[in-house]
Amino acid sequence: MKQTVTMPKINPKNDEVIFGIWTKNIGDSIAAGEVLFEVETDKVVSEVESNFNGVLVETLVKENDTVQTGEAIAIIDIL
Amino acid sequence: METKPQWFKVRYNPEAVEKVTQLMDELELNTVCNEASCPNMGECYSSGTATFMILGRICTRSCRFCDVTHGRPGPVNEKEPQQLAQAVKKMGLEYVVITSVDRDDLPDYGAGHFAEVIEEVRKQNPHTMIEVLTPDFQGDQLAIDKVIAAKPDVFNHNMESVRRISPKIRHRATYDCSLDVLEYVKKQDPSILTKTGIMLGLGETADEINELMDDLRAVDVDFLTIGQYSQPSAKHYPLHEYVPAETFAEYQRTGMAKKFKYVASSPLVRSSYRARAAVESVHTQ
Repeated sequence: MKQTVTMPKINPKNDEVIFGIWTKNIGDSIAAGEVLFEVETDKVVSEVESNFNGVLVETLVKENDTVQTGEAIAIIDIL
Repeated sequence: METKPQWFKVRYNPEAVEKVTQLMDELELNTVCNEASCPNMGECYSSGTATFMILGRICTRSCRFCDVTHGRPGPVNEKEPQQLAQAVKKMGLEYVVITSVDRDDLPDYGAGHFAEVIEEVRKQNPHTMIEVLTPDFQGDQLAIDKVIAAKPDVFNHNMESVRRISPKIRHRATYDCSLDVLEYVKKQDPSILTKTGIMLGLGETADEINELMDDLRAVDVDFLTIGQYSQPSAKHYPLHEYVPAETFAEYQRTGMAKKFKYVASSPLVRSSYRARAAVESVHTQ
């Protein structure tokens, strides 16, 4: 089953964040709790954990993209 | 935006943040984690803890380092003591930190409400230790007495920075008034542990930190927290530097040599970050 990963509300005061890097490559498996990507807000760089176990099949944003809270950013094939 | 050092990173678990956020919404409560965009929110929420912010989410002061919204606050939620006590119970907190916005608009600056919250939390959670992180109540001793009478385990009031920088970053609050608050609490009830916090990276010098530590020890402050300032946005007070971790470690050693009971000093330390550790260290001394 395919699961869309959306951008969580990282910065309570701003729905716009700058996407950092993917810490997994397409085709990599990922477990819930493992870091999937990084985002930068004014205060800090956050290593965002995956909520799902699965395989990363598609990424929809790239480094330095401005991303909105709730925006689809990746597809994970759930195991 | 200033480039952040590689080590200035935090873990963020979206599920845990969502869960705590939902509970706060259900009980109509605010957290300073959320209101001040705290970088540690992900870690603290993941471990099932949060720092409650009472008396609303609008602050009557506009300190230049702070991300909490400034403006004219609404009426005080009279159900808040009850709601907060319930949240402590639901979350099973053995240690709770309660802070607030400044309420210069209220006759007692919100001190009476602080006391009610402490009393209700204790009534419903008799084994939970309570730390309050308060405003300066404009130095009004009658107001501070209300909080002292409710006997929090720890009374925390932040100095925020050294003497020279205080007027540049704080609004209405002063270095001397904050020191007086900490001195008064300890004199009135020596059984209450007193605590304060400062930020580094605002342009302070080592000599100024030394002077601050001496001032704090002169009024018998027990705990000191030291963390890196994170500029909330371009319109806030400009970040001077990211202070190296070794400097934080050095200040930790200096503080312990000056006989603070506990000094937490590292870049991501915030006033309430792992607050319980300080009290536990005293109990094992």
